[in-house]
Amino acid sequence: MLNELLFEFATWLDGFQASTNLHEAIYAYGWVEGTHVLTLTLFLGMLLVIDLRLLGVAFKELPASTLMERLDKPMMIGFAVMIISGVLLYFAIPVRSTQSIWFRIKVVLLIAAGINALLIRNMTRSADLAWDKDPVPPKRIRVGAGLSLSLWALVVVCGRNMAYDWWDCHKEMPYFMYWAAGCVNELAAFE
Amino acid sequence: MNVVPFFEWLDASSLASFAKTYAGLFSLVQAVHILSMIMLVGMIILGDLRMLNIVLKGVPSDVIIQNTKKWIYIGLVGIVLSGIYESSAIAMKLAYNSFFWAKMAGLAMGVVFMLSFRSAVYNRAPESIASTGPKSDAVEPWVVKLVALASLLIWFSVAANGRWIGFS
Repeated sequence: MLNELLFEFATWLDGFQASTNLHEAIYAYGWVEGTHVLTLTLFLGMLLVIDLRLLGVAFKELPASTLMERLDKPMMIGFAVMIISGVLLYFAIPVRSTQSIWFRIKVVLLIAAGINALLIRNMTRSADLAWDKDPVPPKRIRVGAGLSLSLWALVVVCGRNMAYDWWDCHKEMPYFMYWAAGCVNELAAFE
Repeated sequence: MNVVPFFEWLDASSLASFAKTYAGLFSLVQAVHILSMIMLVGMIILGDLRMLNIVLKGVPSDVIIQNTKKWIYIGLVGIVLSGIYESSAIAMKLAYNSFFWAKMAGLAMGVVFMLSFRSAVYNRAPESIASTGPKSDAVEPWVVKLVALASLLIWFSVAANGRWIGFS
């Protein structure tokens, strides 16, 4: 059901001339993709600085709140660019991306990373920051920071692997993989 | 100097045949290359934006620059090792690829620049930027900012040229 809906949505996007144009414009597509990859250094770079501090392994001389509050803006600017370029990349190749097992795992991981970020934000409200100046924050904070770094690293792995066609719908795969990747037409052949 | 024989040797090496055989492992090494880039360039960006007084203004810059060093070196090791692994699989393409050579030139320039000018000038940043108290050997603020801009530009060119190898 969800697979069918997503496939219909992707097919609808695919019908736009702009989608085809962006996909086929070597320079425009390359620049959008290049922006998506290069902005990682700003977005995940600032996230790395904050999480290393929350892990208690770097910038220990500075209060954790200083880094969290003042690097939030550059990080979120990076995040906004990631989202905009990411949406454009999805728009350029909607059907294949929708039916990519890597993209699907990536979206799930993104949601998990978002929930984790909210939990960290809740645990680092100014009232709870008695440990702000401690070189090594409490365990719950370190677990959150470790999770954050792991989840984002896996997001990068999944994004990188989207370029490969190992599990594309046109390949010979077990039923489960067709279902997980949302290969609607291939699944129908099993009926 | 003719470097083509080196790439022919790399192309025929056992590393190259290993890298070409395991596609799944190769994609993971590519991800390690990207993650190392995030660590290396992210820490460079933090230092450069700090010296431009764009982020963390008023926080002692010595503390920030000092803390980034270790992670810059870890990132560099990760980038070079994963980069050698990746390049072995496409050695003959790279030998004649202008983006690859632009990237190598930028990488060499970036490392030399970081260890020489960038490090020396950041150490002598004036109070208005460094916030670590007056220094007798301080340089002008515009010198520090020019160095920060140059550093950002060099590393941007390395990453951008690297990305474009895949499109060329």
